Amino acid sequence: MDVASFLEQCGIGITSGGFLGLIAVGYTLVYGTVGLIHFAHGDVVMLGGCLSLAILSFLVPLPVDPLTGCLIVVLAATCSGLFCGCMNVCIDQFVYRPLRNAPPLSPLVSTIGVSFVLMNVGLVWIGPTDRAFPEIFLESTRLIGGVPVAMADFLVLVIIVPPVFCLYILLRQTRFGRSLRSIAAITRATARSGEAGKLVIATFFISGFLGGVASVAAGVHATTINYQMGHQMGLYAITAAVLGGIGSVPGAIVGGLIVGLIRAISVALLGPRWAITSVFLVLIIFLAFRPQGIFGKSKTRGGQR
Amino acid sequence: MKIQCASLSDLMKWPNKNWEILVFLVLVLAPWFQPALAGGLGGQITSVLIICTAALGLNVMVGFTGLLHLGIASFFGLGGLFLAILTVPMNPLEIGFLPAVFVSVSVTAAIGTLLGSPTLRLRGEYLAIVTLGFGEVVRVLFLNLENVTGGTQGLGPIPPPGSGIFVSGIDLGREFVVDSRWFYYLSLIVLFVVVLLVRILEKSALGRAWIAVREEPLAAATIGISATKVRLSAFTIAAAIAGLAGCLSVASIGTTGDPNAFGFNRSVAILCAVIIGGLGSIPGTLVGVTILFGFDIVVIPWVDSWMQRIQGQLFDVSFFTLGSWRLALVGIALIVVMRFRPVGLIPSRRFAAEFQESQQ
Amino acid sequence: MRSIWFCQPNPSAFRLLWNIVVCLTIGLNSFGCQKIESNRVCLVSSLPRTGVSKQLSDEVVRGIRLAIDEVKAKAGRFTLEYRDLDNSAAASGRWTSEGEAANARMAVEDSDVMAYIGTLNSGAARVSMPILNYADLLMVSPANTAVGLTKPGLGLPGEPNVYRPSGRLNYIRVVPADDLQGPLAADWAFERGVRRVFVIDDAGVYGRGVASLFADRCREQGMTVLDHVSIDPQAAEFKSFVGSVMSADPDLVYFGGSARTKGGQLARDLVSAESEAILLVSDGCRTEAFLEAAGAASLEGRCFATSAGLSPQQADCEEKLLFLRYRQKYGTCPSNAAIHGYEAARLVIRAITDVGQKDRRAIVESAFASQVDDGVLGQWGIDANGDTTLQEVSVSVVRDGKFVHEEVMSTAGIGKKDGSR
Repeated sequence: MDVASFLEQCGIGITSGGFLGLIAVGYTLVYGTVGLIHFAHGDVVMLGGCLSLAILSFLVPLPVDPLTGCLIVVLAATCSGLFCGCMNVCIDQFVYRPLRNAPPLSPLVSTIGVSFVLMNVGLVWIGPTDRAFPEIFLESTRLIGGVPVAMADFLVLVIIVPPVFCLYILLRQTRFGRSLRSIAAITRATARSGEAGKLVIATFFISGFLGGVASVAAGVHATTINYQMGHQMGLYAITAAVLGGIGSVPGAIVGGLIVGLIRAISVALLGPRWAITSVFLVLIIFLAFRPQGIFGKSKTRGGQR
Repeated sequence: MKIQCASLSDLMKWPNKNWEILVFLVLVLAPWFQPALAGGLGGQITSVLIICTAALGLNVMVGFTGLLHLGIASFFGLGGLFLAILTVPMNPLEIGFLPAVFVSVSVTAAIGTLLGSPTLRLRGEYLAIVTLGFGEVVRVLFLNLENVTGGTQGLGPIPPPGSGIFVSGIDLGREFVVDSRWFYYLSLIVLFVVVLLVRILEKSALGRAWIAVREEPLAAATIGISATKVRLSAFTIAAAIAGLAGCLSVASIGTTGDPNAFGFNRSVAILCAVIIGGLGSIPGTLVGVTILFGFDIVVIPWVDSWMQRIQGQLFDVSFFTLGSWRLALVGIALIVVMRFRPVGLIPSRRFAAEFQESQQ
Repeated sequence: MRSIWFCQPNPSAFRLLWNIVVCLTIGLNSFGCQKIESNRVCLVSSLPRTGVSKQLSDEVVRGIRLAIDEVKAKAGRFTLEYRDLDNSAAASGRWTSEGEAANARMAVEDSDVMAYIGTLNSGAARVSMPILNYADLLMVSPANTAVGLTKPGLGLPGEPNVYRPSGRLNYIRVVPADDLQGPLAADWAFERGVRRVFVIDDAGVYGRGVASLFADRCREQGMTVLDHVSIDPQAAEFKSFVGSVMSADPDLVYFGGSARTKGGQLARDLVSAESEAILLVSDGCRTEAFLEAAGAASLEGRCFATSAGLSPQQADCEEKLLFLRYRQKYGTCPSNAAIHGYEAARLVIRAITDVGQKDRRAIVESAFASQVDDGVLGQWGIDANGDTTLQEVSVSVVRDGKFVHEEVMSTAGIGKKDGSR
């Protein structure tokens, strides 16, 4: 593999790692506040993708110029983010909240149940086959400083970077972020108390919003969506969250990028059939040496189980 | 007169006291009274019995020892794969059914131990994700190592148990394939033996050690229980039981089939069945699997076929099938059960008590 | 009396389980065509009715229903009853071995069932073939194309005899196997002046088989096979992989697989990477779903598909009665899947009518001896292996967002017939 193609693979890895990271942040935030692996998150993202497909097919019947394209996609990302955020909050309030005091594995089953229901909704909504995202640009690649850059990948970065930046500001600079982080740092018991209820709602909304944005990025990147994509991306994103240290937001983003890179490079080196294996083998070997993930604290609360 | 009344009330109570015997008797006798059970539905009920067996293995890990395992289906698949490798006519080994089952269960248990040993440091979610990852790795290896596993086409056909043995002119192998009652009884017997085994294990010193390690790891360590060894034994036993179920499954189907059937979905479905049944409870596990898988692979096809007939008489095309809403129905069932019985349908007494305690 | 194997007898739990058992046993009474009626014959099909293959299996079922309606559900003195069985499961959304084996067993043990139409996937056929073979039940597949199922020496060692434990044949397919489609596709590519090919498959029984046969024939013809790679049909996209395809610089990219194993996605990724190569796909991709996923506009004039038999347009779509009826009933033109379903059902009905009694062996023999003169896709019969004698492959190209017939290839010399209507 020469340098140029290696760089190209890295570019692909970073773009796909970017939205995987955003989805992983969703897993990690929810885990941090209510101590739950939200298995349905991938399917929430999938439904966001369905909505953005509907919006984009309505607004972009023909390829448009890059600026308009970007604006439309940003609009779709915002809509689908809001949709996913609200849906996530509803799921939490109606399904998970009554189970806050249940044995730890019971809400896990509920998340799987929700995941099945959402997958079926997606199946009815867009049908069983792959659906193509509309062509957004006339030209698909453009030379920037002598390096060919795929416009789609560029667009993915345009979608992903602002939310990550906002999230950083939100968590670091605001009172809300500090209380969120303090909850994540103390125990699950805090989240059960009534006062933390609003924080939990906010967490679910943010995680859903990021997922919705990521779904548009994923659609633009992969160019098609289908009703099973949530399952596939969910597995990668959980892996990313655990690799980064579950509960840690920067860990999730770094984990996402690592998973994306491993995937792209293993596809180029070993062939497309070995992507999943390489990602999970790296995970297993890494956790055998560092059981708490990259950014995780060594005293994980998983030990309470 | 009085005596008669008493005996009548005794009669009414009898099934309540001995319900497990009754259920077992019904399962044994049903195929003789219900021709449909012996038909294709027998095949489907056999799969439910086999999955019950695998779920009991998972229950040892999740229920007794408290280790979250998301890759049980991969052990199920591994057991089946080794059986297939040892018996299919394309491979030179072609050893008999029983020795093949023995070997493949041992190898699956060994693999379980191998996976268990480096991952015992991990807790909770981390262990869950590693087992999930292991399951996916096994599935992809199944798909990609085509020379050994047959890839997506699977390995087959696996000669049925007793093929080549003739009893008064009847080929037993043929009987096993054509009459599904043979496999029905075989899996019923295996399930019965595994239930007994798990029951004995639970009452044994090892079983108490599992529960001690789950509840009070520190206290267990002070009285000299090695948490590592105990957890490892749970890993091994779960793998062995799941492998045994896998052997039965592929033998009854006749091929290992598509490896995707041993992926994350199957693992998660079995885990859900164990949890909705009630963690750590043997009857709970059986009921959970019966409800969840019985619904998916027995009831829905039956309802669909029935609705098809009704609709077929009225219209040309069937407009609505339950099949297209299967996922949602199963999902809603999971949500509803957890909402109203968070400890499971038939929780073990210990687990229910723990839960009560934590509420106060 | 306290029993030993369950802890704590729990009355409410008992009632739950007991009720389930009672309901099941009572309910099952009404299952299947059990009441023995002398003049009823059951026809079952076993197809994946949920998940990714639903669209395709819907079309097959429509074809079967049309054939049954055509004879007003009568085959001689028998009334035909059709049952549409599902071999897929909710959790996986695709066919499962358990489902297929259970369907086959049910068909075997129901003495009214005289024919089994299925399966869609060659892998599933490997499960049910030995079971049905023991019972001498006629199995007609509308879609299996893996060579090993019928042809000795072409598949895995031991095939196809491992599927015939009774030593007799009972399996027929109405679609030509891949040893026709793959090599003829290679011949077609050679004629077009293609010299460098890149072969991709979906790692499935069908895709792998047809792609290997294509690659072998390419080498025989002296073309360069740059590489033969299997993709992961569950991956979301193939951007990284397409990069390595591009750097090999092929004239033609061949994909063996179907729309449900990511054919559309692969085509789309190739196009968006600005590949100049033409794309040739096997008949599993010759569907609406493929075009929808790939974005038909980008494939205009550069994506070709082979399909076995004469293609519907070439067979004078408007004139055939079938097409009129199908359009009347379902509003669209029948796809190849629907046509094969129709042909399979018609073969079965004719065999049952000819035999006139419930004798499974006789029906199998009658089906093997049948000769179809008025077939939708031309004249054909059944050879000694249970294969169709159809020897034509048609090539279509994407025009105006649809597959349009281009030319016919035949094994009898590379005979070009005039494709324009």
